[in-house]
Amino acid sequence: MANETTLTKPAAEEAAAAEHTRSGRFYRPHVDILEQPDELLVMADVPGARGDRIDVKFEDGSLSIHAEVDPRQSDDREYLLREYGVGDFYRTFRVSEAVDAGKISAEYADGVLTLHLPKAEAVRPRKIAVKTE
Amino acid sequence: MSLIPWRTKQREGEPTESSPLVTLRHEVDRLFDAFVREPFSAVDWPFAGLGKWSPTLDIAETDAEVSVRAELPGIDPKDLNVSVSGNQLVISGEKKESTEDCGKDFYHSESRYGTFRRCVTLPAEIDAENVDAQYTNGVLTLHLKKTQPAPTKRIEVKVK
Repeated sequence: MANETTLTKPAAEEAAAAEHTRSGRFYRPHVDILEQPDELLVMADVPGARGDRIDVKFEDGSLSIHAEVDPRQSDDREYLLREYGVGDFYRTFRVSEAVDAGKISAEYADGVLTLHLPKAEAVRPRKIAVKTE
Repeated sequence: MSLIPWRTKQREGEPTESSPLVTLRHEVDRLFDAFVREPFSAVDWPFAGLGKWSPTLDIAETDAEVSVRAELPGIDPKDLNVSVSGNQLVISGEKKESTEDCGKDFYHSESRYGTFRRCVTLPAEIDAENVDAQYTNGVLTLHLKKTQPAPTKRIEVKVK
């Protein structure tokens, strides 16, 4: 299944079926993407991940999120209901040049990873003062 | 819903938990189980109410306790309610949009917001005074101590 997501223009474009070299099962976290005047906000649900084990990488115009999660189940008990599976969270985004990649920042609280993608100067909305004579 | 021990068998090529098809299958399973068990009771209808959703759960049992795990990212613990009575457990709450103040110009939205509720019949009576609930990194973990059943007393039948 495609694990690449488009941040539609002008933020990012879908990465063509990129191969990933990650082994094992993983989940594609749900994300919300919001546009603000000067930045894009990406909020990814990665419940159960620990803040120090979330890896956010930016390489070759692609932003990847990998959140390691401890096994959700333990073997020493009998499960009556098991709706969660095994696997980390992983997802990548293709980011366009309209984002200032050097200033991407991230924070994590209550299972939600928030990424701030500041827009590049060139695409920020600008208010032009109208001169009157 | 029925609490039948789960076979720990992973099938290859199965869609991930979050895929809409799997979610729909779970909802239909739940609805079916609820109907088969208690056809005329107040069923926790999964499709009742638009915008309502119910969280996914893991429920495990040991001799002394029942433990429940639910992934509920981005919820203020104040908006989370857990109630226990007898063998009924209800997890409810509301996931509020944290970004109401910033204009809501969504490019893309996948998270579910709004109120949620899930009601589960547990396999044993629970000591409501002795429930441990923790919310860490978006995961709610409950440890529910079972009440000690009164020892079965054998009653002698007298013959006159």
